[in-house]
Amino acid sequence: MVAASAGRFSEAGQAQLAEIVSHYPDPGGAILPALWLAQREYGGWLPADAIAEVAARLGRPASEIQGVATFYTMYNTQQRGRRHIEVCTCLTCGCLGAYEVIDRLEQILGIHLGQTTADGEFTLTEAECLNYCEAATVVQVGERYFGGVNAENAADLVARLRGSEGCTPESLSNAIVEAIVPGRNAGATHG
Amino acid sequence: MAELQVLLQHRNVPGIDGIDVYESHGGYAGLRAALGKERQAVIDEVKASGLRGRGGAGFPTWIKWNGLPKSGSAQHYLLCNADEGEPGTFKDRELLLKLPHMVVEGMAIAAYATRSANGFVYVRGEFVESATQLRKAIDQAYRRGYLGRNILGRSDFCFDLHIHTGAGSYECGEETALMSSLMGERGQPRLKPPHGPLPVVSGVWGSPTLINNVETYACVPHILTHGGAWYAAMGTQRSPGTKIFSVSGHVARPGNYEIELGTPLTELIELAGGVVGGALKAVIPGGSSVPILPAEKCAGVTLDYEGCQAAGTMLGSGGFMVFNDKTDIVALMRRTAQFYAHESCGKCTPCREGTRWISRVLDRITAGAGRMEDIDLLLSICDQIDGRSYCPLGDAASWPIRAGIRNFRHEFEHWVRHGSSPIPGFVPPVRSHGPGPVPGRQE
Ligand SMILES: Cc1cc2nc3c(=O)[nH]c(=O)nc-3n(C[C@H](O)[C@H](O)[C@H](O)COP(=O)(O)O)c2cc1C
Ligand code: SF4
Ligand code: FES
Repeated sequence: MVAASAGRFSEAGQAQLAEIVSHYPDPGGAILPALWLAQREYGGWLPADAIAEVAARLGRPASEIQGVATFYTMYNTQQRGRRHIEVCTCLTCGCLGAYEVIDRLEQILGIHLGQTTADGEFTLTEAECLNYCEAATVVQVGERYFGGVNAENAADLVARLRGSEGCTPESLSNAIVEAIVPGRNAGATHG
Repeated sequence: MAELQVLLQHRNVPGIDGIDVYESHGGYAGLRAALGKERQAVIDEVKASGLRGRGGAGFPTWIKWNGLPKSGSAQHYLLCNADEGEPGTFKDRELLLKLPHMVVEGMAIAAYATRSANGFVYVRGEFVESATQLRKAIDQAYRRGYLGRNILGRSDFCFDLHIHTGAGSYECGEETALMSSLMGERGQPRLKPPHGPLPVVSGVWGSPTLINNVETYACVPHILTHGGAWYAAMGTQRSPGTKIFSVSGHVARPGNYEIELGTPLTELIELAGGVVGGALKAVIPGGSSVPILPAEKCAGVTLDYEGCQAAGTMLGSGGFMVFNDKTDIVALMRRTAQFYAHESCGKCTPCREGTRWISRVLDRITAGAGRMEDIDLLLSICDQIDGRSYCPLGDAASWPIRAGIRNFRHEFEHWVRHGSSPIPGFVPPVRSHGPGPVPGRQE
């Protein structure tokens, strides 16, 4: 086990973790949020060191943390492309053109579903219902949802992603941490 | 034929996600009204409203509230289920995005009524935007004294509200799995009655726990502001009030529609602009877990818990998916099966193995390599899952497949006989990311 002091959590990250731990009557509750925090601090995925650091900081065995991390699909225990394009192919999207979107994206990116481009820029996968079916076909990239994607505008989406801020596993994890941690101006009654 | 908007009335007012505009449209009046009453009187008001849980099961809300211990010093927890993952449903996402204060207010009222000092909103990991909106709302509510210590000057009422985000698991929407996940475990369910305790007796961290859906909490401020009797006057006698339906698929104007319970099913399709791209073939009225209704069975069906049940389906979460006659039902069932196989938490054998087998057999049929006996094989797998699984996910995986075969058996037979779709020109997606290799197909 790695000592927490040898970890990579920034000072801000450590303060956020302390705040998160205070939300729960038992530090176990902080495991999921701590994994989000670690995924941000480690650049968008959870290498073994990140698991070890979470374990050390929460005083739990690394095997337990690893068991939790691998259960949930949004924790990246393997490194993925910088932009993880997830195309919903579930019931509504699947009937409204999602598979054509995938065909087109495979063409544009030169990869198959489940693969990452050679430059590490894009990973393409299929997603279960993203619960925004009114905008089928729906695509998630990092913290952002894109609705109304079709075979015609799929190229625009890729072009937009190339130049955009965020939409990475790291910015996704950061946005989640920011939502979990109370605002600095929440006032004296907070806590 | 019209919507009846109670929850969604102000959803498009600019700034309604902020506390000032929310207050100027009647926001937090329900909390003030609640604090003017005894705690039990608040529960009685919810009882008078007849409100039933909007997360899928339709359980009377007041019974849960009334079930928490009313004396003693034990800590209570209040949970909001915002893990919305049922395919076809997108109401909780929009409520949190546009009307987060309504959910916060509903939870504060529930906290007062049930003497709960701590609450968590469990937000689905993908819903980053909704979680961000909720964060802002919670921070504002603290500053204005609607959350935190001595709420609105009442020394006997403190309530802290936190956000906990999921990380990609449909099963975490099941209430006991959600509790496991909140406590930092894998998202697997826990025993419930008759084998284990009710959450209101022993839930998270062994404490009495109340869990309700986002939409359920969002109804509460209106009930306290206008009275339970006012709410009960809407809808039907056994399914009172309004309900948000998420309409998607082959309709002109997909989106969330709030209607009185008891509204004819066909009216909802009209409200959403009618069927596009062909004639109506089928509707899944309550999310992917409920049985599909073929067009000829839609006439006369009313959208209330009893009306849907009488028609052989369920109201569920209100995820209302409309399919036109270009839809290949077998391919639709294949995709449904893929969802459950992917989301099965793996804790019990009937569901873990059964959902994968259903998925593989449907892969085989839509790969053109099906056998006639596969259709009965599917039904037999369904029988082995339904009622034999640890939690309702297994049952929910079997119902749609059974109903698909019951109502569209000829389409399954066509696939087997011809190795191709009964829909002219329909080519099924060849890729399958169901777990495991596809039997009978050359890879
Ligand atoms: C597999 C499964 C998934 C579920 N997902 C959700 C969900 O995403 N949101 C929800 O509110 N209820 C969901 N439920 C129902 C919950 O277990 C629970 O009944 C509900 O949150 C209670 O709230 P209510 O009484 O206000 O409806 C799910 C149930 C099962 C079996
Ligand atoms: S039925 Fe069993 S395997 Fe399926 S989700 Fe429930 S507990 Fe997990
Ligand atoms: S089916 Fe794609 S968002 Fe629901």
